[in-house]
Amino acid sequence: MRAETLKGHLDGLLLASLERGPRHGYAIMEALRADSGGQFDLPTGTIYPALRRLERADLVRGTWSMAGGRRRRVYRLTPAGRRMLAAERGSWRQFSAAVTAVLTPLSWEVTS
Amino acid sequence: MTAGQQLIDAYIREVAAALPGSRRARHDVLTELKDGLLDAASNYQCNGRPASAAAQAAIGEFGDARQVAAAYRPELAVIHARRIAFSFLASVPLVGFWWVLAAASSDLGERPAPPWQWQGLTPGSQLAVHLAACASLIAVVTALVTVFATGRIIRWLPISPRVTTTTAAMASLAAGAADLGIVTLVISQILSAPSALDPGPVTFAAMASLARITFSRRAAQRCLTAGAALA
Repeated sequence: MRAETLKGHLDGLLLASLERGPRHGYAIMEALRADSGGQFDLPTGTIYPALRRLERADLVRGTWSMAGGRRRRVYRLTPAGRRMLAAERGSWRQFSAAVTAVLTPLSWEVTS
Repeated sequence: MTAGQQLIDAYIREVAAALPGSRRARHDVLTELKDGLLDAASNYQCNGRPASAAAQAAIGEFGDARQVAAAYRPELAVIHARRIAFSFLASVPLVGFWWVLAAASSDLGERPAPPWQWQGLTPGSQLAVHLAACASLIAVVTALVTVFATGRIIRWLPISPRVTTTTAAMASLAAGAADLGIVTLVISQILSAPSALDPGPVTFAAMASLARITFSRRAAQRCLTAGAALA
């Protein structure tokens, strides 16, 4: 799936991928890929700036730690991030239900 | 160093060359990016690829270096604008302290009197005081706007990074203008009535303002360049 298709949904997807616990950038990308059955295959390099933006909005919190002798930035959801994720889910359900209702083929009643 | 690591380092250098912002912000970004690349390359190696092919695959997964740098540019520009705004806000009490001390210890007229009511100030000096006060106010307001626009508000209101680099540049220019105004005032005072000034505090205050003039010019230039690069 192309990056443009996900435009507007990336923040929600990133928040959702952190719901199960803290992760570093590449693990978030792997989770997105696995959870979407390989559909979301974004250029991984573009995930990191989005995480920094979410951090500035205080929706995620990033901390540096050491792993295998390397500095690694690990992100976790903040309480505001959890609330935002719940709101994103609600609006997505509403939106997808409306789109499904419009796109589902009509079943014509046959009259004699 | 393995061929794989060399490829990754070359990619990081390519991204670095196209990134704006402070050295520290760029260093953090590149450290995180490299960590991700090494993870990705390690994954490919575990799946049986040789080191250099694994690094190549990881680089391919992360995307074109220019594309990655372009994705980072708005965020780094905002971080830079925010940092500049905080620096100016922090400098207000520091520089202000020295000028208040300089004014209080110098013989500039009857006290207690605000600067614009000091007796004996020439019309030109009074204008410089007014301009410096206005510029200081503009600097503080635009710096506060920058801090506000680059914070949590983006959850509800996506503010263009160009707006924040512009307000940060305005704060820098206004702070520089305020300092220039007050330093000009002091120079005119030195030329007309040098004995009225207390040399110690005035020297410290003038040095603080001159340092801020230098910083503000560079800061404004960087903010405007970062903003222009986002167009």
